[in-house]
Amino acid sequence: MRQIAFYGKGGIGKSTIGTNIAAALSENGLSVMMIGCDPKADCTRNLTGEVQIPTVLDVSRDKGIERLGLEELVEGKEIELGEVIHKGYRGIYCAECGGPRPGFGCAGRGVIVAIDLLKRLKAFEELKPDVVIYDVLGDVVCGGFAMPLRKGLADEVYIVTSADYLALYAANNICRGISAFANKGGSPLGGIIYNVRGMLDEADVVYDFAEKFGSQVIGHIPNAHEIAEAEIDANTVIEYDSNTDIANLFRDLAMRIYNNKLTSAPNPLAPEEMMMAGKEIRRRMKEKYGKRGNHE
Amino acid sequence: MSEEMETILHPRPSAIVAALYTLRDLDADVAVMHGPAGCSFKHSRLLEEDGMHVLTSAMDETNFVFGGHESLVRVLRKAEEMFQPELMGVIGTCSSMIIGEDLHQAVEDSGVGAKCKVIAADVHAGYRDNTVGVILTLESAYKSGIISREEFERQKRMLEAATKLEKEVGAASKSYIPPSKGDSKIDVAHRLLELIGKGKKGVCVLNAKKETVFMFADILKAVNKVAEPSQIVNIANLDTEEGLKKIRGYSVKILDELDADGIKIDHIIGGLDEYPVAGEKAAALIDAFYADYDFAVLLGISHAVPLDKYGIKAEIFSVTNGPRTIEPLKWLGHDHAVLEIDLHPKTIGATGIIPSEFGDTLLKLKHALQLP
Repeated sequence: MRQIAFYGKGGIGKSTIGTNIAAALSENGLSVMMIGCDPKADCTRNLTGEVQIPTVLDVSRDKGIERLGLEELVEGKEIELGEVIHKGYRGIYCAECGGPRPGFGCAGRGVIVAIDLLKRLKAFEELKPDVVIYDVLGDVVCGGFAMPLRKGLADEVYIVTSADYLALYAANNICRGISAFANKGGSPLGGIIYNVRGMLDEADVVYDFAEKFGSQVIGHIPNAHEIAEAEIDANTVIEYDSNTDIANLFRDLAMRIYNNKLTSAPNPLAPEEMMMAGKEIRRRMKEKYGKRGNHE
Repeated sequence: MSEEMETILHPRPSAIVAALYTLRDLDADVAVMHGPAGCSFKHSRLLEEDGMHVLTSAMDETNFVFGGHESLVRVLRKAEEMFQPELMGVIGTCSSMIIGEDLHQAVEDSGVGAKCKVIAADVHAGYRDNTVGVILTLESAYKSGIISREEFERQKRMLEAATKLEKEVGAASKSYIPPSKGDSKIDVAHRLLELIGKGKKGVCVLNAKKETVFMFADILKAVNKVAEPSQIVNIANLDTEEGLKKIRGYSVKILDELDADGIKIDHIIGGLDEYPVAGEKAAALIDAFYADYDFAVLLGISHAVPLDKYGIKAEIFSVTNGPRTIEPLKWLGHDHAVLEIDLHPKTIGATGIIPSEFGDTLLKLKHALQLP
């Protein structure tokens, strides 16, 4: 069983890429499970269509986790695997951890409890997925969101980024977290996925970063209109328009990731290096956009 | 537990404390709590009296925000350096578990595992049943090879039975149970002596939970001293073959002391950790052989002795150390329910039978009543 985690700045395209990769891997005959680790519970939307699947945490709350506790919920068979894992496109297993509404509780703790529950329900042993994909909330703000990075969970992490400074800044920040885990047997960095978003489409900026991190750019997703169209229908491109170049690109990327053996403990950039990188990005934006890029 | 009960309102025992006591039962030399210095302070102190060192990683606001991993690694190394333990326990607390601290990684990073056996349990107090703390700790002990799978499974069965008992007839059986000081010890002792004085026969059931036996056994002694040997049948969960080594040791000590006082236990119903199920055996024995006896003195986990189930009509004298067990005992129809409120703190670290208030009352009242 391969376990892969996607991290990256909020809104950068993790769920889009993750769901498309899940669909592509499934097309290849692999059994796939995707676990959304975001209290918004929207990671697997492209696989479940318009259906909002109940979250692991909501189901356990409805089943009485307060009264019974996690152990009794499971051992008393008050909660079944089928209530928290749902089949989406091509039978891909979809689970959303869920979590509290904004401003309340602790979403990080929610991820820990939800993954713990899935393990107690023996989700992996029962369903035997070939691939498990974790899609994690943008900013890894506390210990809970690093749960997939712990030993025994994700085999490697892929960071999704654009060439924009803030996305790279976030990617660098995430590398700081990953390196702490990777150096102790937790998940190493498998690569960077360049997703063309925002103001700048400068692949060499991202390649440069990847090299500095001690990693590789494993995928380059262009700004294809089919992706946005598919998402309006809550579909992956693979489902929406299977014979497009972008669908084929996701298929290639999926297998590259699946077969990837090149991983590393990332070297996050120091603040000064990050600042230099930011200046370089600004220079490029000015070159490209002239006075419109000048925010001095 | 009734269907309509939602949550329990009164305080309940903590799984963190349960984990600490389990480490004690496993003869851990030192327990490290990864959490604030004040967490479970009262019980940590008691356990130090029982010979186990207890340290904390003293987590504070800074650690809640930035994490406490490095602090824990430092404390683990310090614990090993200070105490050279053979067995060390590391347990979580609410704060460390909420922020997602990884105890096992900290143990690995500290390197203490190369110098001693380490049990780590990701426990917090946010469980409905504190027995989860015991199970998590025992599970880690089993995975570390400290206890066998059979012992782990046996302990789990006992803990599940204990949880069920409390939910059905004990301190978790209602949404709110007020604490009670119990019946007057003098009044209850007087009634018991009255029955004994009339030549009535009774059974004395000792169904104690682990170290609490050191005081409950004193009451058994006192009952035997205020009656003729032919009047009292003693039934006790003092099996010396079952359970963890430390707990079996308690049974050996108690039996030796009772024997030295010429007091015989007529029936052994299980070990000191089998109190959730031993009571049923006691009730069955009473039904089989002593159904016509006039009174029953139930010591320890009295609500685990289902005399009503067997239709036994004896007058029941119960002694408990739980203020929230008194009311449930009355709901079960026990005629008298007495509280030994300081029992647990006094029996921690005990090496022999400790004087009890009720035992003392029985002896002194008998003496007083015999005065001309």
